[in-house]
Amino acid sequence: MRPEEYLADVEIHWCPGCGNFQIREALVRALAALDLPPHRVVLVTGIGQAAKIVHYLRVNGFDGLHGRTIAAAAGLKMARPDLEVIAESGDGDLYGEGGNHLLHNIRRNLDITVIVHDNRVYGLTKGQASPTAPAGYITRAQPFGVLSRPLNPLALALALGAGFVAQAFSGEVERTAQILAAAIRYRGFALVNVLHPCPSWNRVQTFAWYKERIRDIGEGHDPTDLSEAMRLALSDSENLPVGILYEREGPTWEERHPVVRRGPPALQPLPTYEDLLPLLQEFS
Amino acid sequence: MELVVRLAGAAGQGVQTLGEILARTCFRSGLFVHGELSYHSRIRGGENAFTLRISDRPVFATRHRADLLVVLTEEMGRAYREKLRDGAWVVAEAGLGMAGPRVLSLPALRLAREKLKLPIAMGVILLGAAAKLLGLPEEKVAQAVKEVFGEKAEPNLQALALGYEHGTPPVWELPGPQFGPGERMLLTGGQAVGAGAIAAGCKFLAAYPMTPGTPVMEFLAQRSERFGIVVEQAEDEIAAINMALGAAFGGARAMVTTSGGGFALMVEGLSLAGMIETPVVIHVGQRPGPATGLPTRTSQENLLFALYAGHGEFPRFLCAPRDQESAFYATIRAFELAEAYQVPSILLTDQFLVDSYAVVPALDPRRVPVRPHTLSAEELAGLSSYRRFALTQSGVSPRALPGLSPHLVLVDSDEHDEFGRITEDLGIRKAMVEKRLRKGEALEGEVEGPAVEPEGETRGKTVVLGWGSTYGALREAVEELNARGGDFVLIHFQDLWPQRWKALGDLLRPARRLITVENNAWGQLGKLIAQETGLIPHRHIARYDGRPFAPEDLVEALAHEA
Repeated sequence: MRPEEYLADVEIHWCPGCGNFQIREALVRALAALDLPPHRVVLVTGIGQAAKIVHYLRVNGFDGLHGRTIAAAAGLKMARPDLEVIAESGDGDLYGEGGNHLLHNIRRNLDITVIVHDNRVYGLTKGQASPTAPAGYITRAQPFGVLSRPLNPLALALALGAGFVAQAFSGEVERTAQILAAAIRYRGFALVNVLHPCPSWNRVQTFAWYKERIRDIGEGHDPTDLSEAMRLALSDSENLPVGILYEREGPTWEERHPVVRRGPPALQPLPTYEDLLPLLQEFS
Repeated sequence: MELVVRLAGAAGQGVQTLGEILARTCFRSGLFVHGELSYHSRIRGGENAFTLRISDRPVFATRHRADLLVVLTEEMGRAYREKLRDGAWVVAEAGLGMAGPRVLSLPALRLAREKLKLPIAMGVILLGAAAKLLGLPEEKVAQAVKEVFGEKAEPNLQALALGYEHGTPPVWELPGPQFGPGERMLLTGGQAVGAGAIAAGCKFLAAYPMTPGTPVMEFLAQRSERFGIVVEQAEDEIAAINMALGAAFGGARAMVTTSGGGFALMVEGLSLAGMIETPVVIHVGQRPGPATGLPTRTSQENLLFALYAGHGEFPRFLCAPRDQESAFYATIRAFELAEAYQVPSILLTDQFLVDSYAVVPALDPRRVPVRPHTLSAEELAGLSSYRRFALTQSGVSPRALPGLSPHLVLVDSDEHDEFGRITEDLGIRKAMVEKRLRKGEALEGEVEGPAVEPEGETRGKTVVLGWGSTYGALREAVEELNARGGDFVLIHFQDLWPQRWKALGDLLRPARRLITVENNAWGQLGKLIAQETGLIPHRHIARYDGRPFAPEDLVEALAHEA
C-alpha cells in the first residue's frame, strides 16, 4: 500500500499550519510501511480537533465520546483481537477526561497503540489549558495562569509499567512515522506522545519553540533500560526527548485470556440449544 | 398449603447458603419455593435473613411472618421473634437463651466446636433440626448440602446429622411432589438474567462491581470459558459502557450490569449507543437512592430515570421482568431487540428479583429465537459500496462489522452522514433524526402489552397498576381480594417502552379507579401513564423503605377499595 491510499478524499477542517496535518501524514506512512490493509485497521478516536483525524483517513473508524477513546478501543480489542486497533486523540481527551482509562489500560496491556496529539491546549473549545500545559500558562479560562503542575505522560506510563513509551514531534514527519510504525508493530500497549504546535491557540509553544528544545535520543539509547528511560522522561521542559524511550515486550492481555486466546470472541457463532443444555441443567 | 421458614443470622454466618440448601431440598421434593434474601450492607454482623416460602403452587412474593424461625444471633432473635404466625416454632442456638413453648433450643455452637472443630457449621446443625421439624428426609437435605458445598460437604454432612440427632420429631407434614423431575427449575433473578444473556449469545460483559448488579457479572464470569464470553471488570462504569460499545462495534453481543449510581455514570455512553446505533444491553438492578442510598435493599425508583436517561432523542427498549422466569426470556429479548433495531436495551430489575430464588417452569431458550443481525461476509462481498447509516424506510441500516470485507465501517458520535462521516449539513441532520426515530416506531410493534388479570374490560372496576418484580405480590393480593368478592383487575407491565399508549388509554379509561403500586414514593408508572394517556391515577400505594411488598401488605392496603 502507498501512504496516499489511506487518505480520505474529504474537506479538512483543521487550521492551516496545524501539527495534525503532519501527524496524519506520519500515520499514513507508518500504515503503508506496515502494509496494513485499511479494512483491518480500526482507528478509535474521541472528541476534539485531533480526534477528527478518523474522518480524514480511509480506515475503519469509531469516533466515540470525549475521554472514552481508550475504553472503546479496549473493548473492541478484547472482542476483536484480530483487528489492528489504534486509539488516537488529543491530550485533553486522553490525559484529562480519560485519564482513568489510560491508567488502567496500561495495566491491562492490550495490544493497542495510543497516539496522543499533545499541543498543551484545548483546540476545539478555543484555547483552554490542557493537562500538559505548563504551570503559569495564561488562557481566557485560566486568567491567573495554570496553578497545577503539568502531567508528565511519559513518566506516568513508565511508572505504571507500560511496555512501549515514545515521544515524537510533528515537525519531523519521517521520524514520527518511524516511531508510530514501531508502536503499531509492538505487541502490547504502546503510548506515543506526539508534541505539536497549535498555531491558533498556543502562542508560547510554537513550532520554533519546540524545534529548539527537541532532543532526539538517537540510536545510542538502549530502549530496554527502564531507569534511563525514566531519566529521559523526567527531563526538564527545556529538553524534550524524542524517540522510543522504552520498549520491552511482555505477555499481552489477549495472550493471557483463555477465551480470547481461542480467537475473536465477537466472531464466534451464536449458541445452539444443545450448547445451552448444560447451563439449563444447573437449575434443574 | 404454605409454610414460611425464616433463617436469620449475621453476615458471615452463611445464612444465604443455608437458605439455598433448604430451597434446593424442597425443590427436589417437588415443592414450590420462593426464597428472599434481606441483608445489611456489611461483610460481618448485622442482619442476614433468608425467608423461604414453601408452597404447593408457584409463588413469587415474600411474607413478613414466619411459621418457623431459625435464629443464629441474639439480635436476630429480637428482630424476628414478633414476626411469627400463630403456632410458629423457633429453632435457636442454645447460647441465645431463647425459651418458651415451641422453642427448640440447641447447643449448636458447642456441638460444632467440640464435635466438628468448625464453629461455622453451627448453622447447618440448626438447619438440620429445622429440616427435621419440617418433616424433610435427611438424605434429601444431605443431597442439597453436597450440591451446595461441593468438596467442603463432608463436615457439613456431619453437622446436618447432628441437627437431626438433636432435633425433635416433625410437626409439619409437607405435601407430596407437585411436579416431576425436569419440569421445573430453581434459580434467582440474577441467575436468570445471566443465563438469558448466555442464551442470547452474549460474548462481552464489562462491569464495575455494584450491588445488586454484580451477581450477573459473576454468573457470566464463572461460565466465561465454557461459553466463550469476555467478562472484564472495568475501571469505572463509564469505561464499562464504552468498552461494551467498542466490543459491540466489533460484533460482540455486549452487556453491562450495574445499579442506579453506576447507570448514572453510563448515561453519556447510553446516548452514544443511540447515536452510533450500536446495540448494547444495560442491566440495572435497582436499589434505593438517591446517591448510595441503601446498597443492599430493593426499590423501583429508576423507571423514569431509565426511560429518560441520555441527552438527545433516540429510541430504546426498556423492560422490567416480573419474575425469575421472565427475567430469562426478557434478557434474550433485550439482546435480540437491541441487535435487530440497533438500539440500547435496558433491563430494569431490582435487589428483590436479583437475589430471590423461585421455582419456574423449565426454561426453554428456543421460545425466543436468536439470530444474527449483521451482514455476513458473503452479503458484504455482494455489495459495491457500503453506508453504515443508509437511510431506510424502517430506519434500520444493514450493519457491517469491521474487518470482514474491504468495506469500511465508520461510526461517529457527532451527527453524521450515511457513511458515518461527521457533518453539519442540517438537511442530513434532520434526515438522521427521523431515521433514528423511525426505528422506535418499528420497535413499538415488537413490545408486549401489559398482563391484564382477569382478562377483559375494566369498566367499573378498580384497576391496580404495577410493573416489574411486584407482580408476584400483586397477583396474590388481587386473587385473594377477588375471591372475597372484590372487583379488581391487575394490569401489570414488563415491557415499559415503547408502549402502545393509545390502546392502553382505551383499556384504562372505563375503569372506576386506577391505583398504582410501586416500590417508590412518586408513583413513577402512574406519572408515565398520566403523561402518555392523560389518565391520572387516583391513588398510589408506595413502599420506599427498601423492602419488597408482601401480598398481605397489599390485601390490607386495597381491602377497603372493593
